Amino acid sequence: MKVVAVIPAYNEQGRIGAAVRDAAMFCSNVVVVDDYSADNGGEEAREAGAHVLRHIINRGQGASLQTGTDYAVAHLEADVVVHFDADGQMQGKDIPEMVKPIIEGEADIVLGSRFLGVKANIPITRWVVLKLGLLFTMAVSGIRVTDTHNGFRALSRHAATSMRITLDRMAHASEVLDLIKMRNLRHVERPVDIRYSEETLAKGQSSLGAITIVKDILKGKFFDI
Amino acid sequence: MIFQIILVAFALFAIAHVFRQHRKQKVSVHWLVMWTILWLLVIGAAMAPQTTDILAQKLGVERGADLIVYSAVVILIYGMYRMYVRVGRVEREMTELVRKVAIDKADKPE
Repeated sequence: MKVVAVIPAYNEQGRIGAAVRDAAMFCSNVVVVDDYSADNGGEEAREAGAHVLRHIINRGQGASLQTGTDYAVAHLEADVVVHFDADGQMQGKDIPEMVKPIIEGEADIVLGSRFLGVKANIPITRWVVLKLGLLFTMAVSGIRVTDTHNGFRALSRHAATSMRITLDRMAHASEVLDLIKMRNLRHVERPVDIRYSEETLAKGQSSLGAITIVKDILKGKFFDI
Repeated sequence: MIFQIILVAFALFAIAHVFRQHRKQKVSVHWLVMWTILWLLVIGAAMAPQTTDILAQKLGVERGADLIVYSAVVILIYGMYRMYVRVGRVEREMTELVRKVAIDKADKPE
């Protein structure tokens, strides 16, 4: 079984190398999609042993994930594609548990959850936004999960080829849930350890980003673009 | 009176402009004809505003000027919707293009 990690990276120099090495301990290959970063994160990822794809203009995290997934399936013969992150919030040690249900043939897609089992040190405002996100997802996609906007996921080859992320920016997590429902993919959740540090909170999405996400989802639904 | 003159002058300018564009083969004959008809109607409405009242009353609107404003709003909103959809399509195509270039030029580890 060939497991390939896909890591979208936008200005992640200083963190990306460690993330690549962390993921590489549990995967056959690591693909980093450099989303037109202004720094040398691409070089750093390359030195850490990743396949590096470069977007020649910035297209967003959702677009980067799809680029890396296409590459993993078409050029690396991946059996399982793992969506991972560049800034050390996700832990490589969770990858084997994420991949297991696919290898055992129980699921097509495995979603990481911050709210199952392990207690995460989630800041309170983030917690509220995430819970509201659950309600919104239930209303819009009609799918019930414990954590909607966790980017940690594992896709079987079948899942990776049968769905395409078209919301280029940050709404991909919601879009994936929609696609699971529409394509009738078997999904399970697995607890993952997400570590919030001051550095990643400062660099990552603000909770206000939720507004943009909701806007993108509604736009996608009404205008079919 | 002043506004009427400005409107007619602008309409003439717009017509002259589209003819020039057509000569440079930048716009099609179809577009030239449509655009010219539109601005001729504007000139007509500006010179004889009462005529628009007749049409307006047939359509159940009191004044011609109101009819023009209502139609303009509807047409503009429709145009914006079309533009919105088109921009979305262009964005998607651009992403596909960027993706293709990224995959073709993949930097592989030794």
